Amino acid sequence: MAVAQVVGINTFVNRVDALVFQGTWARSGTRAWSRNLRLGWEWDEDAFTTNMFAHPYHGGLYFNAGRSNGLDYFEAVPLAFFGSWSWENFGETYRPSLNDWFMTSFGGIALGEVFHRVSSTIRNNRSRGRSRTLKELAALPFDPIGGFNRLVRGEWKAIGPNPPEHDPGAYMLRLGAGVRYARQLVADSGLNSIGAFQLDFLYGDQVAQEYRAPFDVFGVRLILSSNGGFNVLRASGRLYATDLNDRAKRARHVLAVNQRYDYMKNRAQSVGGQSVEIGINSRWPIGNNGYGIRTAIFGDAILLGAIDAPATGLGERNYDFGPGVGARWEFGVDRNGARFVRVFGQLEYIHAVSGAAADHTVDFSGIEANIPIGRSLGLSASSTVFHRNSRYSPTLKDVRDYPEARLLLIWTKAGPKP
Amino acid sequence: MTRAVWVSAFLALVAAPAPAQRPHRPHRSGLWGEFGGGPGRLRVACSGCNSVVLSSGSTSYIRIGGTVSDHVLIGVEAFSLLDRGFGFVSGDSGSTENGTIALIVIWFPGRTGLFVKGGVGLAGGQFTLPSSPTTADTSNGLGTGMTFGAGWDWSISRRFAFTVNVAAYVTAVGDVVLPSRRVDDVIATMYQGSIGFSFR
Repeated sequence: MAVAQVVGINTFVNRVDALVFQGTWARSGTRAWSRNLRLGWEWDEDAFTTNMFAHPYHGGLYFNAGRSNGLDYFEAVPLAFFGSWSWENFGETYRPSLNDWFMTSFGGIALGEVFHRVSSTIRNNRSRGRSRTLKELAALPFDPIGGFNRLVRGEWKAIGPNPPEHDPGAYMLRLGAGVRYARQLVADSGLNSIGAFQLDFLYGDQVAQEYRAPFDVFGVRLILSSNGGFNVLRASGRLYATDLNDRAKRARHVLAVNQRYDYMKNRAQSVGGQSVEIGINSRWPIGNNGYGIRTAIFGDAILLGAIDAPATGLGERNYDFGPGVGARWEFGVDRNGARFVRVFGQLEYIHAVSGAAADHTVDFSGIEANIPIGRSLGLSASSTVFHRNSRYSPTLKDVRDYPEARLLLIWTKAGPKP
Repeated sequence: MTRAVWVSAFLALVAAPAPAQRPHRPHRSGLWGEFGGGPGRLRVACSGCNSVVLSSGSTSYIRIGGTVSDHVLIGVEAFSLLDRGFGFVSGDSGSTENGTIALIVIWFPGRTGLFVKGGVGLAGGQFTLPSSPTTADTSNGLGTGMTFGAGWDWSISRRFAFTVNVAAYVTAVGDVVLPSRRVDDVIATMYQGSIGFSFR
């Protein structure tokens, strides 16, 4: 059933593109299929947002065709690869794009599982009436395939038990609105202040929660700005975790493998990619009132990343693709899982294999403080620096810094204490 | 003589006890390893190229790993394809070696020896073209790659098996820059059919 739905998604999207939007590129047939299979992969020139967000979202549909038909995370993984591969070879007259296959598959798995769990949390099989319908509708943008399957099966109204993903255990939802002061965020325009909306969602607790299944713990950050709109979407979910010391000890250390999806785009910079990281999350309690110090140290492999590069030289595309490696660290103070202070750093290296013959180094570090001013309200102040160093040849370098300060009024809702 | 050896090997494989006769044994357990080789096909595509370059070569691989469950294995695979008659255009008489080192997952869906494989990891490509009758220029590229495939374990004893594989390797190794030629954004796709030997 899941495979049939993946084929159905591709057929539906292709027919809509061909018949409704009159896209000539969607009028593929046996001649295009034969040519695509014979000539194989190439790199495409699509816009950054198309390749780094729209394609992963589309991949999430394939993945969730599996999840909503009862497959677990690992069983649904092949569907993302199959769906993307078949679309690239049979859904378009263009030659199949290797960067699309990477981003749709790996990004689709990461975003798909996040969306599957978020929508499962929103839906409530014990709810009735108008509230139930609103919940089903609210979950639809995250998991349209799951929502469609539930509608067809009559599960929008049926009363029954919720799936395990419905209850994340400990969670934290934090919404913030305010202003960003950023230098060069609008290209070459000095210091700007722009409006910002920020969403942070922590599903589960990395240290307190024993490993059960992939993405049983994940975190999401979304930033929208008045300048450039959709600026940041970062998601990281653990694929595997194991305790490094006795769970009864006060200080806890957990080895984790995480899958990461990163998208950052504004008018001056574009960075993103699919990666896997391995490292240690730790927590040292302070006193008996729920306070503690948290640390994280991780090394990562970027399966395929993308970064803007003026010298890309590939048609209209203005960013490079390449794999890489990196590391990140974090030090924070929390109370019952909600962070008050975070100091963090992240260093990534991307070796371009499509675009400019370049090596890019990105260093992103900062400090973030959340100050409560009421039961749920607070102020969030942060300062970050995004530094990049791109080496296009032994003599041609491009070094840029993007400092930024953020001041937000925040509202926090947190679940059971971890 | 060679044909007789192949026929004997084939009969030995066919006559090997079917895994279905031992339904409760896992396909592989604990530390396992596998190596083998066979013919391969290489397709090189690049940015700005109107066509692709096709050639053939010999492949070899080695895998080692552990078991996650009775049906799922995880491991590391090193694969390479060598073609000593490679050329980007007709008349070139160079060579190329492309390969991957990947983290792989092998899944046995049932109790037969059938398995499917997927993986992702580092990819490398080396392209050598003669610059004169006595010298040659070499360009090395490093990048990323994915592999997918299927195979069959034929048990020959409790600890050993012959393994046949078909697999595809898609690798992106960047630019090939030689004094005489520049080929941008190379994607090398390799197809492999192989026979291997597994200890498990």
